Amino acid sequence: MEPVLAELDSVSKSYAGIPVLKRVNFSVRAGEIHALLGGNGAGKSTLMKILAGLVQASGGDVRIADAPLVPATPAQALAMGLYLVPQEAHIFPNQSVLENICIGLPKPAAAYRARVQELIAQIGVSLSPETKAATLEIADRQIVEILRGLVREAKVLILDEPTSALTPHEVQTLFARMQGLRAAGHGLVFISHKLHELRAVCDRITVLRDGNVVLSANMDQSTDSDILTAMSPGVTELEARGAGRQTSSEAVLALDALSGEGFVDISFDVRRGEVLGLTGVVGAGRTELAETLVGLRPRTCGDVMLEGQMFRANSPSDAVRQGIVHLSEDRQQYGLFLEAPLFWNASSFVYDRLPFFLRPGTERKRFARYREMLGIKCASPDQPAGSLSGGNQQKVLLAKCLVAEPKLLILDEPTRGVDVGARNDIYRIIEELAAQGTSVLLISSDFDEVVRLSDRIAVMAGGHLAGELPGGATTDEISQLAFEAREVEHA
Amino acid sequence: MLERIARDRVATLFLVTVAVLSLVGLAAPGFLSAGTATIIWSNGLVLMLVALGIFPVILTRNIDVSGGSILGLSAVVLGLALNDGFALPLALGFALGAGIFAGVVNGLLVAGLGVPSIVATLGTLGLFRGVMLITTGGEWIEELPEALKSLGAKSFGGLSIMGIITALVIVAVWWFLRSRRGRWVMVTGDNREAARHLGLPVRRIELLAFTWAGAMYALAGITFAAQIGFVPNQAGNGIELRAIAALVLGGISLLGGVGSVGGVVIGVIFFTSIDTSLVFLKIPAYWNDLIGGAMLLGVLLIDGRLRIALEARDRAARYRRGSQAEQKSRPLEDAA
Repeated sequence: MEPVLAELDSVSKSYAGIPVLKRVNFSVRAGEIHALLGGNGAGKSTLMKILAGLVQASGGDVRIADAPLVPATPAQALAMGLYLVPQEAHIFPNQSVLENICIGLPKPAAAYRARVQELIAQIGVSLSPETKAATLEIADRQIVEILRGLVREAKVLILDEPTSALTPHEVQTLFARMQGLRAAGHGLVFISHKLHELRAVCDRITVLRDGNVVLSANMDQSTDSDILTAMSPGVTELEARGAGRQTSSEAVLALDALSGEGFVDISFDVRRGEVLGLTGVVGAGRTELAETLVGLRPRTCGDVMLEGQMFRANSPSDAVRQGIVHLSEDRQQYGLFLEAPLFWNASSFVYDRLPFFLRPGTERKRFARYREMLGIKCASPDQPAGSLSGGNQQKVLLAKCLVAEPKLLILDEPTRGVDVGARNDIYRIIEELAAQGTSVLLISSDFDEVVRLSDRIAVMAGGHLAGELPGGATTDEISQLAFEAREVEHA
Repeated sequence: MLERIARDRVATLFLVTVAVLSLVGLAAPGFLSAGTATIIWSNGLVLMLVALGIFPVILTRNIDVSGGSILGLSAVVLGLALNDGFALPLALGFALGAGIFAGVVNGLLVAGLGVPSIVATLGTLGLFRGVMLITTGGEWIEELPEALKSLGAKSFGGLSIMGIITALVIVAVWWFLRSRRGRWVMVTGDNREAARHLGLPVRRIELLAFTWAGAMYALAGITFAAQIGFVPNQAGNGIELRAIAALVLGGISLLGGVGSVGGVVIGVIFFTSIDTSLVFLKIPAYWNDLIGGAMLLGVLLIDGRLRIALEARDRAARYRRGSQAEQKSRPLEDAA
């Protein structure tokens, strides 16, 4: 048996008297990739933050490389050879990519330039070390975090959902790097919601639910259904929507040769009560297209019709007034008011429709209606939004969009970083919305998700519309369209 | 060339300063001379030292508004010690010690107890001024010895000893910010959570920034006392806000993580040149604040508009490049 590199021995943690972790045991051995799974709020992130010294345990022991020492600070954990790649990238916006990666390392950044460039080439991303980090897209910020972990060659490397912003090709190369580290005797912890990814690389699996370890086994000895049941008993995988559902032929939104920053000459329409999946790899121009529609970016040419009328929005709130509501992929920046009560958040798209003197009673009632409809788990409508788990926050964002009663709802990566249970809820909500006649433009880089939900699928690649597929198309067909341009770029 | 200047706040401000000085030179012959340069430098010393003190604090995305009070306190400690018969070096040590102590108090409040820096230093702004007034009983300290005044008097090629020390401090800060530890100060302000995540001792960095600030205010207090030869009750009153304005003018972001020593120096010199010019132009001194404020707003507004325009152009260019690269790859794609 390989030596244990890091161990958590009956670790407990509670916040304000509420237990988050209850006597959890967890270990990472040399030369293994250990999968850590669990719903939102199960305690995965807290567990890993304790290991990384970012959070102090309320009870139990933490040992790294047999040292009976509890890492009390991130600096100590790093010194002991542990690095946590967090789910949300921590970036220094005013520094270069290289400085971002090398800050805190013993030598000046220039000493690591060659190594960083080599890793960038190996993973196959296009990223210049000299770029100022403020200009990076979310996906690239995530890559910077992963590079930080790889450059440090940590004995214990924790990756918290590293693949959520990567394309399938990049995921494969990341996996190859991870397997290389494993072969060299490193221990890795891999947190992901995607079972097939975990299957591809992991040796052992630990499942957390409500702060307890509910499954701990070798990966090849546990079936998918074992894992799903352990994670959220009573939740089963949803059926695909299936092709051939009757939809109206009436176009709610029609784009005619629309061009803007990052995309050219895009034409398609979204019909009433339809879910149109808009997909492609990162950098295909989908997000830019959505942001242009709601007035966040300038339009260079082309026309947009909304219900037969010329449509042009100067700002997102202008778009909301005209009936298009956009849920951004950047939840950190354009998401919730974290300190404000939930019901304030729910009304925040429609402030101009509220009376001059607000009526909190009415607002609370309205929030309660959506809370029930969307299944938001919270104690009170007056709770600050920041106190909810990621999946519930996403539902509050959906509530905020629905309050505006949109004709067209644009959802950009609505399930990124959301656990299986909440994801199924969100899928159900999207289906219900479409059934009630709302049109949904679903932007997602998760091809499975697109196939499951969409009535029709538009695929973008390199800023162009690569093609349109009917509902029920396979993920292979999508990949073919989505990667054509990308592969050429790499060649 | 023009574009590079527009992108660089320090260069912009340098040109504006040169332009202002040339105009004054036209209006008041005899203004443009080495003598005027040394006057501007020596008039700006106190403000320069205070600005150099606040600079690292602002880089870590904190603020320190207690500078004027610490300056006053250090000056009073210096004056009382000298008048009680202590030797000059010892008295200077006491003054410096008082500044450092006050800086540590600020640092512990912010980094140790987690009090927001604006709140903490607003508190100590009153506190230190109060301590100073109680110590002096509200009296001015006068008749400071000649030995102290000689520190502020021009001795070497028009520069005073304090002037030379300040120049050395500027070089030291420049050198420090180029070092790895200097980078730590910058990134702590850029994204504190990220710095913590990467194992940087963010609290120690903040504490040291406030301590440094205290030491610089003490140097400013010493310079002040040496230059005017007595310590009034209002010594240093309000200078922290002028220093912050000079920093902002020099391109140091109040949001932390952005700024250069060049910016500090040119910001302070700009402000001082205006004051000095007004004297030459025989404009009454009570116009100083109005003209200084208007200049500050003017430069910031023009600079901000320029920057927005440049960014818009850059962005457009980036996307244009992107679509060209795309078009180049098209034929390949058709072949494949």
